[in-house]
Amino acid sequence: MTRSEHLRNLLALGVLGLVLALLPPALNVYLRSFALFTMMYVVLALSWNIISGFTGYTSFGHVIFYGIGAYACAILVADHGWHWLPTLLVAAGVAAAVGVALGYPVLRLKGPYFAIAMLGAAEGVRVVATVWDGLTHGGLGISLPSVENSIATYYAMLGLMLITILVAYAVGHSRFGIRLNAIREDEVAAEALGINATAYKLAAFALSAVFPAVAGGIQAYKVLYIDPPSVFFVQITIAMALMSMLGGKGTVIGPIVGAVLLYTAQELTWVNFPTAHLIAYGLFIVIVARFMPRGLVGFAIDRGWARKGMVH
Amino acid sequence: MRDLHKAFGGVRAVDGCSFAVPRGRISGLIGPNGSGKTTTFNLLTGLAVPDAGQVLHRGENIAGRKPYEIFRRGITRTFQITRIFREMTVFENMLSATGLRVPDRVARERAEALIAFVNLGSLRGEYGGRLSYGQQKLLEFARALMTDPDLILLDEPAAGVNRTLLQQLLEHIHHLQERGKTILIVEHDMNVIMNHCERIFVLDHGVKIAEGPPAEIQRDERVIDAYFGRRRR
Repeated sequence: MTRSEHLRNLLALGVLGLVLALLPPALNVYLRSFALFTMMYVVLALSWNIISGFTGYTSFGHVIFYGIGAYACAILVADHGWHWLPTLLVAAGVAAAVGVALGYPVLRLKGPYFAIAMLGAAEGVRVVATVWDGLTHGGLGISLPSVENSIATYYAMLGLMLITILVAYAVGHSRFGIRLNAIREDEVAAEALGINATAYKLAAFALSAVFPAVAGGIQAYKVLYIDPPSVFFVQITIAMALMSMLGGKGTVIGPIVGAVLLYTAQELTWVNFPTAHLIAYGLFIVIVARFMPRGLVGFAIDRGWARKGMVH
Repeated sequence: MRDLHKAFGGVRAVDGCSFAVPRGRISGLIGPNGSGKTTTFNLLTGLAVPDAGQVLHRGENIAGRKPYEIFRRGITRTFQITRIFREMTVFENMLSATGLRVPDRVARERAEALIAFVNLGSLRGEYGGRLSYGQQKLLEFARALMTDPDLILLDEPAAGVNRTLLQQLLEHIHHLQERGKTILIVEHDMNVIMNHCERIFVLDHGVKIAEGPPAEIQRDERVIDAYFGRRRR
């Protein structure tokens, strides 16, 4: 990609950031909250995409990092009287550490074995959060001191989303990203070409853990109450995966588009058809999987509307 | 390599094999199916860990090292069945093989030059998986050259490649040798082996049964036996 194309994309991101930054006064509380959660799902889908789209390790336990971030924020704010912003850094640090510690054993597994191991790990972490009363207050959950925070959390999520997009963009268009792609395509060949797959996978995994953790922290401070079933909720992982796949995993724009479309669709159907929305959601997924297996971006590429590859 | 051993279960794929690949020359490694050629390549490149023995490269024993460590020491290979990255473009395939310490601009220039070298310029932005088999072979060959290796191992470069493309490939190989590279080829096509290699090693049942220049190998009784079975006298 040429320098001018990068500049154009950065400019587009800047405009998007500016519009979103000017928006809150024009929005009511519901719409502000809707925008915040849309941005959160952009963060989650893009992060999931780093390990699962770029690197090909489909994670069905990514909610682990989201939940850990939520707990880091809630515990430090509610039990230790911290200001909420610095807790987000702690959330990021803990998630990265857990990512490396967990990734070292599970990233030796491939394909469905890795997916199942992550699913199991997520359930395990949820159980630990439930039984470790001393730290997490167990099944009772944690209530945070109530304050008006819809503006502050909105801007925090906006900032996080812009950073996540920038990082995903930088990774996707770099030789680091190409090497992650190489691991996805053929790990043996990648190693034979000088790529230390273990180190690259761990780096990608830790990177993909950091942003969901911060998102979880912001979300905890936004909703002011968390408990294990709500923040270690398997459907959050599934949402990350579906959004990436709908938009086009392994690309940068794909998960963004997928998150916005799917979260909006979910919200609309949920409002109008409280029970039918899951059916609509399911049908949507079947249609995408059947007719656009490589997502919207893949669909566009196959029709020649977009170039193949990430680095040109 | 010295006294190399590798067994898979009860099968002794490489059973006490020793040979020295002459520097700056094109050599061939031949033998009937299952004689241990590809296993030997895997042992040399770290994809398999030898049970015993040494692989000496520039005085260092690299046996048992990880594939990426061996690659970074200047040894590169292609595969019998090509292993190009199918959902990555030709250009991305090329870039995947460079050390990150090489500046981006240098890596790109090198990739462009090598793509031109193997005449894949018009397919630069196409997915690897969309290339014909012969083109994939050329891509894999070019990709193996991205880091300017000094020992290049080619596993059946001629298999499935049409004559015209094969001629190109062989020209490239000679061109590399002229630049001082060492090349070792596993190949079933005896025309390729006999006309292009200066020294040939013959394996059978994991043991080296002969070594020498092409003319000598063609007359060697043990080699003929290994390929065609013992002649009745």
